[in-house]
Amino acid sequence: MNDRFASAAMPSFNPWQAAIFVCLTVLALLFLAPTIGVLLSSLKTTEDIALGKLWSFPTSLYLDNFRTVLADPAIHTYFLNTLLIAVPATAGSIVLGILSGYVFAKLPFRGSDVLFLAIVAGMFFPPQVILIPLFRLFNGLGLLDTLWPMIFVHIAMGIPICTLMMRNFFATVPAALREAAIIEGASEWQVLTKVALPLSLPALAVLSTLQFTWIWNDFLWPLIFTQSDDKRTIMLGLVFLQGQYSVAWGIQGALSLIASLPTLIVFLFFQRYFIKGMTMGAVKG
Amino acid sequence: MEKDKTLWRVAMLIPPLAVFGILVVWPLFSSFYYSITNWNGFSADYRYVGFDNFLQIFHDPLFTRAAVNTVIWMLAAVIVPTGLGLVLALLIDSQVPGASVFKSIFYLPICLSAIVVGQIWVWIYQPDWGLLNTAISLVTGGNSHFAWLAKPGTALYAVIAAWSWQQTGLAMVIFLAGLTAIPADLIEVCHIEGASSGQRIRQVVLPLLRPATVVVVALGLINSLKGFDILYIMTGGGPFNSSDTLAMHMYNESFKKYHMGYGSAISVVLFLIALAIIFAYFRQLRKVDEIYE
Repeated sequence: MNDRFASAAMPSFNPWQAAIFVCLTVLALLFLAPTIGVLLSSLKTTEDIALGKLWSFPTSLYLDNFRTVLADPAIHTYFLNTLLIAVPATAGSIVLGILSGYVFAKLPFRGSDVLFLAIVAGMFFPPQVILIPLFRLFNGLGLLDTLWPMIFVHIAMGIPICTLMMRNFFATVPAALREAAIIEGASEWQVLTKVALPLSLPALAVLSTLQFTWIWNDFLWPLIFTQSDDKRTIMLGLVFLQGQYSVAWGIQGALSLIASLPTLIVFLFFQRYFIKGMTMGAVKG
Repeated sequence: MEKDKTLWRVAMLIPPLAVFGILVVWPLFSSFYYSITNWNGFSADYRYVGFDNFLQIFHDPLFTRAAVNTVIWMLAAVIVPTGLGLVLALLIDSQVPGASVFKSIFYLPICLSAIVVGQIWVWIYQPDWGLLNTAISLVTGGNSHFAWLAKPGTALYAVIAAWSWQQTGLAMVIFLAGLTAIPADLIEVCHIEGASSGQRIRQVVLPLLRPATVVVVALGLINSLKGFDILYIMTGGGPFNSSDTLAMHMYNESFKKYHMGYGSAISVVLFLIALAIIFAYFRQLRKVDEIYE
């Protein structure tokens, strides 16, 4: 990973190294146990689980839990709803973050630092603080029990993190590049879209993975803003189906896994961006 | 030229500021307003009640309960993931084989939703076949059927354990980022001077991890103050409100009992706590910046 310690002469067998490895392996197994438990439960019948056979290795591949879940039309609706929220909200918050991030990085003005900090601070407030007024606003607009409130709210709540990341990224684009383009007669808009953005693809990847994951996993907003079953998002649906399949533990396990699938895929393939986003957003706050 | 710049500033800032203003800033101030009314959530007929809602806070035993729980929750949520995350980061950073695999394993829970994490841990605490009781039965040779989430004495701590499981990975990666920022020469000097690993960690590495620690602690405090989903699914604040937190209490008062005025007052309290943390956090960050400049 990094070779900062390699310069110190490393013996071929280091007892400390071995101890650390064993230590980490034990911790890793403990950490994995909950996830493995869900995986095992999803592959077992309810009877097996009730008989205390959950923690034994499955002898045959039992996939009926997954079949039941995948055939449930409600699940299809929840998935579709969540996608219909997550995709436009991710895109919307990133576009707005690009605009404000560019101004804060390349066109600073008197007081822009304070404004920037105020926006970034918005990232840290508990959503409960704006719950009631937003409930009232969307109720007044007749938008309760539609997907619109979640789309709007996620765009707005995404502005702080998107502004922060895009500003930090645009700040690394050399000022000379912008000046040269301006002298050539380019407008700020052209500098942004033709010079700064093409250089910022990694930042866009980081933000897309972060925003998509957060919005996919969200629970509070749809809990407040929706009522009917056909407007539920996947996490809300998960809690609801828990009641329906109350003692069908295997089906619940399969449900959890399937509901987490998109974010697990994002994690597996974009882990680097994901971690970078988490640490960047945190460290440079 | 300068005029052009101003035009672009305005044009580019209006869309994000308008959305942020309408959906975040304005609602924030409306919360203050509702907190001095007796609005019930639906009727147009509500009136100004002054500071009654805030006075009610002092007569509401459920609020006191939730406030104490929130403090316990925040303390635990800061100590456990921070400590464990630091240990994991130091272990992983020691050039152990398979470091990136370990990193992924510890990090995995953070990409799961709090709902899924909650559900996983409900199974772990399941009285009859859950992992915890199974393990206790194995170790003690007895037959443990303890209902961890249904007992007022353990419910809150059981949820905190689940929360820590998820948050540790976040603390770990922030510490790892901090460790990578330590100049390699400095570590080399330690080796040349013959410092032991313990000395190196205590006297060089830990002081240099201060900025990362500030971030981890601040995020831990803020995230635990926000914590709602995992409680909602694991205990719903029960049994007998024993695991209620302020975020949970605010939701119950506002959207279960429709005491939106009182709920707003609780949200104002939440806002003030968050504000205090953010202030301290930004100040610490500035101090850290000064040291390194």
